[in-house]
Amino acid sequence: MKEISYIELLEENQRLGKQQKGARYNLAVLSNVTVNLCKEVFEYYLRCENINAHVKIGDYDNIVQDTLKNQDANVVIIFWEIGNAIDGLQFKANLFDDKEIDAIFEKLKSEIDLVVQNLAGNSLVLINKFSTYAFSGFNLKKDKFEKLADDLNEYLQAKATVNIKLVDIEKIFAQIGLKQSMDYRGFYSSRSLYSVEFFKAYAQYVNPVILSVNGNSKKALILDCDNTLWKGVLGEDGFDNIEMSAQTKDGAVYAEIQSLILSLCKEGVIIGLCSKNNEQDIQEVISTHPDMLLKDEHISVKKINWLDKPQNLREIAQELNIGLESIVIIDDSSFEVNFIKNELPGITALQVPERVHDYPLFFRKTMQLFYKPSITPEDLKKTQMYKQQVIRENSKKQFSNIEEYLKSLALKVMVLEGNDKLVPRLSQLSQKTNQFNLTTKRYTEEDIKKIVKDDLKKIMAFSVSDKFGDSGITGMAVINLERQLSRAHIESYMLSCRVIGRNIEFALMDYIVGSLKEKGFKKVTASYIPTAKNGITQNFYDQCGYKQTGLSNNVHDYALEIDQYQPKNFDYLEVINGNKNKENYVHCI
Amino acid sequence: METKIKKIMSIVFDAQVENLGGNPSPDTLEAWDSLNHMKLISSLEEEFGIQFDDDDILNMKDYHSVQSILSKHLEKI
Repeated sequence: MKEISYIELLEENQRLGKQQKGARYNLAVLSNVTVNLCKEVFEYYLRCENINAHVKIGDYDNIVQDTLKNQDANVVIIFWEIGNAIDGLQFKANLFDDKEIDAIFEKLKSEIDLVVQNLAGNSLVLINKFSTYAFSGFNLKKDKFEKLADDLNEYLQAKATVNIKLVDIEKIFAQIGLKQSMDYRGFYSSRSLYSVEFFKAYAQYVNPVILSVNGNSKKALILDCDNTLWKGVLGEDGFDNIEMSAQTKDGAVYAEIQSLILSLCKEGVIIGLCSKNNEQDIQEVISTHPDMLLKDEHISVKKINWLDKPQNLREIAQELNIGLESIVIIDDSSFEVNFIKNELPGITALQVPERVHDYPLFFRKTMQLFYKPSITPEDLKKTQMYKQQVIRENSKKQFSNIEEYLKSLALKVMVLEGNDKLVPRLSQLSQKTNQFNLTTKRYTEEDIKKIVKDDLKKIMAFSVSDKFGDSGITGMAVINLERQLSRAHIESYMLSCRVIGRNIEFALMDYIVGSLKEKGFKKVTASYIPTAKNGITQNFYDQCGYKQTGLSNNVHDYALEIDQYQPKNFDYLEVINGNKNKENYVHCI
Repeated sequence: METKIKKIMSIVFDAQVENLGGNPSPDTLEAWDSLNHMKLISSLEEEFGIQFDDDDILNMKDYHSVQSILSKHLEKI
């Protein structure tokens, strides 16, 4: 695939900027060299993912001061060039004695401390690791300059808090080559070191991290079968002649691909198949082929038929209850890939490279789209949970009346108070829940920890189980307690898409209002903030009996007098207080 | 070449081609600052497949000088 040229990118970025609807997403790029060419490049790649990105470039060589000005930025990116840490350090370092080097090291250490401290409240900070590659590529042994960089990196690593991710820019140099990454002409004239090509590669390298804190990471990988999972066409070459054995040249590539798919599956990525084939034939390969690594237990959803792929993918999205923009599909046919791209613009459709030996590298790059800051117990159970979800969707079709169906599920909801063990999952939930999310407030792990400790706030976490299985923690509410006014405010209320459509949101509201009443609260306030994705919740508070009290800046305010609340009391939904029972508690986390 | 340069300028300076005038320069075009000058250089280099020297970059003071410096490079190819 041809990369977009810089001028095309500038033009596209202007166009995309005009059509962005979501909330403004602010990036601040701080540096001690000139990095202004990155602005449109970073904006463009995020705007392609429907993030209304706006990049602000900090003042030249003002990293520490600028951290104070950007404590409200959604992302801060720091390009800290060691060669320019003091003017000409790249050649001066080797003339300095140990004492002088030490002084520079101390100065930078204290600057790092300040940066880390000033940005402690930001949800995401990307700091490039110090690299001397721009100047030291020919060295046979490490000089003082390189050793200083090593020491600084070690210090940075030790100091980095959870919200800070260190970016290994040397990997980007390796990807596109040092010569293509650097613009020395700019360095000596205006202290601008990096080329546009570098910024393009950088943006694509770090975007999965930004997308993951923004609730936009990819969730499902759907694969074609022929020439995607194995070499050959099952219908033509036959069961015995398709190749995916590590023992043959082409087979070895496919054995590697299947192993990589398994590792994604282990991290909680949903794996599915979508192939034009006879279902029985494919099932036979999955169940009995000795070289097949991918088994039924790894596959959450299968669409093996002769219908067109966009239609199948729409159904997959519906059955898994995820958005098309959460899906990546890999197919070997350019026809199918283009067809899918045209029909379903939000989806990421990728074509298997023409040369088989390029496939593993391509696949490893694709894997990064599923980046997650940390793996939670829910991730490990995900395949099972999504399989249940598909069975549930299909058994829904057997019941004409949805209430009848819900009654048949034997639904149980368990409520837990937020605690330290739930922190990673609750943060992840807030970052990934887009549909049933009243305020779409994202919380980092740091944020959740603070709330757990805060006496004026309460987090309730919910897990849902039914006769098919346990969903794990799939919903939460953050409630601010204004005890003196006998008033509580629902700051956040969200349910994972895996459990919506079962009236659980109402049963939980019964529970929340009930428990606030018990504690003597008289009034509950709440807000609904519309986004492109949470339309499903627009009447939620009305349905719960709240009265709308105001609307400003896209925020709809609601209020409820607790003694006027009419609980829904669904008889098929049992809500259990999980805190009373230690066993449940452990089971849920 | 003229339309291509003007088109690139119109994108870099976020202006309509008609509004660029006959010989736009940093004096007549507010958007032509040193940062956009860097963008212009990068775009021209990529679109025409050439690389400017340091002096070229300094000497590009208006549309006409951009055009003549570019022609000089294109003749070399």
